[in-house]
Amino acid sequence: MNVLSQLIVSGIAVGMIYGVIAFSYQLTFATSKTLNFGQGEALMLGALVGLTTINFLIGQAIGTLWAYLLMLPIVFAFGLAQGAVVEWLGVRQAVKAKSEAGWIMATIALGIIFRNLAENIWGRDALRFPSPLPEAALTIGPVRIQPMEIAIVLGALAIMLAVEIFNRRSIFGKAVVATANDRDAAGLMGIDTRRVITFSYALSSMTAAFAGVLIAPVTLTGATMGAVLGLKAFAVAIIGGLSSGMGVIVGGLILGITETLTGYYISTGYKDVPGLVLLLLVLSLKPSGLFGRATIKKV
Amino acid sequence: MLEVNDLVAGYGKVKVLHGLSLKVEEGQLVTLIGSNGAGKTTTLRAISGMIPPESGSVHLGGEDLTGLPSFKITKKGLAHSPEGRRVFPTQSVKDNLLLGAFPRLTGARERGDVDGDLDRMFTLFPRLAERRAQLAGTLSGGEQQMLAMARALMLNPRVLLLDEPSMGLAPRLVAEVFATIARLKEQKITMLLVEQFAAAALEVADFGYVLENGRVAAKGPAEALRNDAAVRAAYLGHAH
Repeated sequence: MNVLSQLIVSGIAVGMIYGVIAFSYQLTFATSKTLNFGQGEALMLGALVGLTTINFLIGQAIGTLWAYLLMLPIVFAFGLAQGAVVEWLGVRQAVKAKSEAGWIMATIALGIIFRNLAENIWGRDALRFPSPLPEAALTIGPVRIQPMEIAIVLGALAIMLAVEIFNRRSIFGKAVVATANDRDAAGLMGIDTRRVITFSYALSSMTAAFAGVLIAPVTLTGATMGAVLGLKAFAVAIIGGLSSGMGVIVGGLILGITETLTGYYISTGYKDVPGLVLLLLVLSLKPSGLFGRATIKKV
Repeated sequence: MLEVNDLVAGYGKVKVLHGLSLKVEEGQLVTLIGSNGAGKTTTLRAISGMIPPESGSVHLGGEDLTGLPSFKITKKGLAHSPEGRRVFPTQSVKDNLLLGAFPRLTGARERGDVDGDLDRMFTLFPRLAERRAQLAGTLSGGEQQMLAMARALMLNPRVLLLDEPSMGLAPRLVAEVFATIARLKEQKITMLLVEQFAAAALEVADFGYVLENGRVAAKGPAEALRNDAAVRAAYLGHAH
């Protein structure tokens, strides 16, 4: 029983990371029906830019926690810019040329370029990211949790909640939702839907970059860290539904927990299998995702 | 107020409008009638920038709007309540209305009294007031039509384009829509109305254009068109 609850708790943190990246896929899909297949690289770049920044700040004799907090706005700004670049270089041109698959190739290509760039700047070795919180695990009842794992869950929930509040409360957020609902009609409201799409790419990469610095302290940071995360989160986005807001949290948790369970009870060698099997099952049985819903439309 | 000259437009290689000209004076209600496929909806779409005109020109209050994307044309004060309502289904009635005022809320147009205008819309369309917190996708067809019109009015437009506001509605609701249009006319709102119900449209309008194959086949004061033998035979004979 103790082992089981421990495995579930460990699965939750990684599951929330999958959920947040999947959420970032949803952001661009909602407005433009396109995705950034280099989303894992957006996460990786965020983590590495964060690493350089936090090391610089620590070098200025700032405590690790403060350095981490001061680093966040820089990572956010970098993520926003990186996402806008992806949209501008990869998506807009391909969509304008009415190429069905153009944006897929373009975002994959940009992802590879970003990974090469990162290898040249930060090297090929995995780097250690200073943890802003104590690394000693806390014992809560039967389970042991690293403080950073709690921070991951809270951080992931906070960014999703912040985006949700922005979309519901502010007129600009409403414009984003309107663009997602009906792009032509949004244009008739005076909304520059192209700019909204650029913005959703910026916000999407910012979210991924944030996920990068959330997970970096508990994993290894390096140019290749994003590839597998991006792919698994894509599976979560499909499982949870590309258009269903909170389905990705459930999808992420399902995947995170099944992974740790499989790793313990079967073999760590098969850790990646259940998520992919789940993906195949969902794709064949309920292609709109477990929580996906058809848009409400009445004539 | 709105002037369209020699407009040529269509979808890709298919031309729908072949040199169409029309004029809407300030405070006037002008209607476009004609059979299916005559180009009524295409005319409105080309005016509001939903499709780029191939040639010809569109002027609003003397300003050239030709070829601008729709969001820029809206910011100039032209509101378009499109065919099929096109309300935002996952947003509340109130949010749909606020989105109609987007240029006013974001500084692109004079802000004025947005809250006051919301209240005015809820007075004009009491059904919407009852449902202000409800998602637009859950409204009935008639309510969605009211919402689409109210949303367009929230721009405080200089000209309002209305595309088939009666489409798919029960007869009782069609009458309600026309009553609303008449009330808007009393408020001196400049409107260009596209309608299948030609008789009802000519009843409420000041001036009318009859479209045939993307061209103006006849035009004149609404009353004259109502009494014109050819128009009666072609369009008013079996008004549903």
